[in-house]
Amino acid sequence: MVWPLTPVRLLPLSPSMIQLFHVSKYYDRRMALSDVTLEIQKGEFVLLMGPSGAGKSTLLKLLIGAERPEEGQILIQGRSLSKLRSSEIPLLRRKVGVVLQDFRLLPKKTVFDNVSLPLLVQGASTAEIRRKVAEALRAVGLDHKKDHVPPGLSTGEQQRICIARAIVNGPIMLLADEPTGNLDPELTSEIIDLFKSINARGTTIIVATHDPNVLAQVSRRVITLDQGRVVSQEQVCS
Amino acid sequence: MFVRRLLYLLREAVANVLTNRTTTVVAVATTAFTFACVGVFLLLYVNLRALASSLEQDIEVMVYLQDDLTEQMRREIEQQLKADRAVGSLTFVSKERALADFQTQFPSESHLLQGLGQNPLPASFVITFAVESRSSEAMRRWATRAQSISGVTQVQYNQEWVEALAGMVRYIEVAAIIVGVILSAASVTIIANTIRLALYSRREEIEILGLIGASTTFIRVPYLLEGAALGLLGSALSLAILKAGFELFRHEIRSASRFLGVDTLLTFFPLDMCLVLVGVGLFLGCAGSFLSLLRFGEGRV
Repeated sequence: MVWPLTPVRLLPLSPSMIQLFHVSKYYDRRMALSDVTLEIQKGEFVLLMGPSGAGKSTLLKLLIGAERPEEGQILIQGRSLSKLRSSEIPLLRRKVGVVLQDFRLLPKKTVFDNVSLPLLVQGASTAEIRRKVAEALRAVGLDHKKDHVPPGLSTGEQQRICIARAIVNGPIMLLADEPTGNLDPELTSEIIDLFKSINARGTTIIVATHDPNVLAQVSRRVITLDQGRVVSQEQVCS
Repeated sequence: MFVRRLLYLLREAVANVLTNRTTTVVAVATTAFTFACVGVFLLLYVNLRALASSLEQDIEVMVYLQDDLTEQMRREIEQQLKADRAVGSLTFVSKERALADFQTQFPSESHLLQGLGQNPLPASFVITFAVESRSSEAMRRWATRAQSISGVTQVQYNQEWVEALAGMVRYIEVAAIIVGVILSAASVTIIANTIRLALYSRREEIEILGLIGASTTFIRVPYLLEGAALGLLGSALSLAILKAGFELFRHEIRSASRFLGVDTLLTFFPLDMCLVLVGVGLFLGCAGSFLSLLRFGEGRV
């Protein structure tokens, strides 16, 4: 079974990549998200801002099916996540690139092996893996480091490898959870530029952050969360 | 495409084993000794069963006849016995033949019968059983049936010996099953714990694989392969230990002169049974792995 790249028939013309309708999520009795309704269009670059505990990471987890909402509905390209069977979750994740603050690279595997992993689990051919990994590494400017192992790279390079892994199979959207949390302002700027260039190629990007340096560099839509609620949605010009 | 993924999964399974080398060696050794304990019972069972079966082949049943039977009646009894599917072969021993046999076998005692005037030994049929009717239970049932035939005075066979041996084989069989089940569960637990250690040491990698869209099967296969390898190696090693112990035992028996010839009766597991035992080890290894994967969490794996 293949994750549909086009919206389902009921919503054939919807340009929405993500739609959330009255989504709530609780951990035990603590509310992580409350009645969140929002829409993100295909090709948008969205910043999810808010302090720690605002619900940014929970929202991203809901979008990759790592968590299920207690209430409400989430549609990705018109398809409801609540109707996905467990066996379909991996198919969704193959279309969504994820970048995390702590990189989550395999330390004993080379950069090439790390980046090729998403292609390998999909069953891509050797030639396809070589070609796409080379492209992804070129896009992040690290094609010359393909035989290195992550512990030998700088934090900025490790984050770029993480981004290369997230984009290697041409995802429909890229979710980044505090991607610059471990980086200094200069490296933050590099990573944001990288996201911009990926976004320019049509990939929807959602970056969850509480880093004001990121906000300063992005003239895009900003959704602010606080205590699990959407408190503002605005277009920011830096 | 499939080959590349398979190679990756195999490479991961080997990497799992190498990462936890000490745990793997301990798990294989413990599993081997556990399987070997079950194997000792199985070996005992196989040999006693072979011995019982060889003794059952030699057992003859004597059907003694009344002295005043006419030739016609004797033939009728013979026909009736021959028609029985349990009867493999039948030989008639007349009164005269019985006396002659007695005198041949016990020449020093033959004077005891001379004092009685007439031949006191009855005519009889000597019966051996068909292969499928050689169990003690079948023999007992047949003896009761034969006893009720008109003209038959007594049916005799070495009942106690056959039944004692059959009873012992049954006890060993039950003991082997109980010990087998308990120790198999122990082996599964040992392997499950080894796999659980591997899972915990690689939990971050498992989470990453889940994040990038690896299917549950893709994540689980290396651990199932590792469990299967542990079970297979454990059972193969246990067979090697058993074979060495068996040969040592046979050598000791051979050198002890009072057990002359007993060593030739001893047999090790035939090849097909060895393969079955290795297969059982492999299966138990997979089961141990599977248990650990379930406990580790459906969400993560």
